Amino acid sequence: MDLSGKPYKAFIQRQEAIKKQYSKKQAEKQHSKGKLTAFERINLLFDNATFEEIDAYVTPADQPVEFGKVERSYGDGVIVGHGKVNGRLIFAYAQDFTIMGGSLGIVHAKKIAKIQEMALKMGSPIIALIDSGGARIQEGVASLSGYAGIFHNIIHSSGIIPQISVIMGPAAGGAVYAPALTDFVFMVNHTSYMFVTGPNVVKEVLNEDVTSDGLGGAEVHARKSGVAQMIYDDEENTILALKKFLSYLPSNNVENPPVVSDDGSIGDINEKLRDIVPDDPNKAYDVKDVINQIVDRNSFFETAELFGASLVTGFARLRGKTIGIVANQPKVLAGVLDIDSSTKGARFIRFCDAFNIPIITLEDVPGFLPGVDQEHSGIIRHGAKLLFAYSEATVPKITVILRKAYGGAFIVMNSKNLGGDFSFAWPSAEIAVMGPDGAVAILYRRELADSDNPVELKKELVKKYRDKIANPFIADELGYIDEVIDPAVTRKKILSALNALSNKWVKVPARKHGNMPL
Amino acid sequence: MANDKLQIKKLHALSSENRKFTFSLPLKHSIRIGKRDYEVKLKSDEKLGPYILWKNRKYPVEIVRSRQNKYEILFNDISYTFTVETPFSLQRKIVLDSKRGKVEQEFIKAPMPGKIIDVLVREGATVLRGEPVVILEAMKMQNEILSPVNGVIMKVYARANTNVMKDDLLIEIKVS
Repeated sequence: MDLSGKPYKAFIQRQEAIKKQYSKKQAEKQHSKGKLTAFERINLLFDNATFEEIDAYVTPADQPVEFGKVERSYGDGVIVGHGKVNGRLIFAYAQDFTIMGGSLGIVHAKKIAKIQEMALKMGSPIIALIDSGGARIQEGVASLSGYAGIFHNIIHSSGIIPQISVIMGPAAGGAVYAPALTDFVFMVNHTSYMFVTGPNVVKEVLNEDVTSDGLGGAEVHARKSGVAQMIYDDEENTILALKKFLSYLPSNNVENPPVVSDDGSIGDINEKLRDIVPDDPNKAYDVKDVINQIVDRNSFFETAELFGASLVTGFARLRGKTIGIVANQPKVLAGVLDIDSSTKGARFIRFCDAFNIPIITLEDVPGFLPGVDQEHSGIIRHGAKLLFAYSEATVPKITVILRKAYGGAFIVMNSKNLGGDFSFAWPSAEIAVMGPDGAVAILYRRELADSDNPVELKKELVKKYRDKIANPFIADELGYIDEVIDPAVTRKKILSALNALSNKWVKVPARKHGNMPL
Repeated sequence: MANDKLQIKKLHALSSENRKFTFSLPLKHSIRIGKRDYEVKLKSDEKLGPYILWKNRKYPVEIVRSRQNKYEILFNDISYTFTVETPFSLQRKIVLDSKRGKVEQEFIKAPMPGKIIDVLVREGATVLRGEPVVILEAMKMQNEILSPVNGVIMKVYARANTNVMKDDLLIEIKVS
């Protein structure tokens, strides 16, 4: 077709101009830093040729600029649009570091806001690929108001559509709150940073020397601050993981998560489960081995692996349907609940509850972590979050007690009277107010003090306590758990419980919102 | 531009000893080691699971663990760990490795307050990553403290049957 007619001339010229804007040199500059360009990231994320860009030709606002120059470029440093990821509609915006450092001006912000509003209207997840120097200083307060609008949109959409941020470069200053407000944050090791104030300011104000990586690199946020849940060594793996991650999530809060086919290679009756938990209650094991023998093969996707690692959280599938797993990890800190693991668990449970994902709890918890450090940092306040989140959730909630279930931690971990739907226990379970050693020391204080051989007496009493009290049978007989089960049938029991719960409906009282202890 | 598909034509597998193996995509039954191509078939059946067919003999392979692009496989009773890299990620890895300073010492600290039950290494001993070095009892549980690196034990601060506080120094390792 000949398109050289008059209206088409301008059309073609524009197309050529935008092609020139994305030069090879800029791409190489990104590559030399170990980063991909914004378009390369988009292409990796979306199914072949399904991405449709919106607002490609907008240019920065013409406004009085007191100092500095605003580069006139098409798109204003951000690519927004929608496309298919594994066949499902997904919205995304990708900041382009090669145009004015990906800085956020008002036009840039309006583009993001536009795509956020579209994602909410269509009920589709939105992905933010962040690589930006922050607010555009030249545009002043207009740029700040742009951020405010973006934050407001994220909060407005929270719990309605999944919102995921992927940090692929710097995110500094106020800009960090956009990812912080979203449901999950992915980061790339060594090339992405997040901090409220950068190393230069830290040096100036506090005279502390710190590198960008040491202050707000991926490792720091995944391990210490808990800001990032998933970190990867390079951008390609990050995006591949993101695609896999999306496959577990529904598009919005009224849909159910997508169902995939299950190869059936994990049997409903699995005898391997009998041999994972050691007989000696003082010996640790990896609870992920238990998870992998219950869920569909290779379906477990762990979230926040490095943060609060004494509690394992993640998504998995049972006969192709998404479930959320919350499991104490005896291998790390004996599986205690501490501040980090409590807040991590609470946030994960609230995500599952918002997006119709049933929660399966695997419990082996000796209690809350004692100590001055934890008490003074507010384990009461943070532990209450986990309690609140479990009790508030209305999705199906099933608990399997593998071994220890003591004291306050037993109550918190989705106990029956806290609103848990089904509670199962393995024969190895120990359900009591406290562990044998502690209990015996309190109950028989006088006898132990008077005894000629307190060590021997204590051993005897501990054994008696373990046989008589620290087992699942008393709780079973009193109806505080539903059934003591053979570990081998765990998957079968969970499946039938989920089946029974498929029409679960809970009427929540009318209120603006509960007042969760934050 | 938006529709220029980023095509990956080959993949590299880097072993933990930094040996490189190259595969072309889509996967063919050949693998390049050094400068020679070898014909190797990867198949699987119900009885053996995945196995490698080489010179008409079957060698079963087990994927012990995979995390991101890192794999640990068991083959002929020997475990191998390696990462799978695309040409771009390999280039990135080389750039980042050259920038990163090498960590020379590793300090193992107590992750929580507790009592040292056993010290499993002596000064001068070599340890591998993931090998238990100390057993710490806390919360009525015996926790194995693992070495995060391959190296040589420089100094052992932990003593059996003593109590430690959180972040107390237990072991100092020289990274090799």
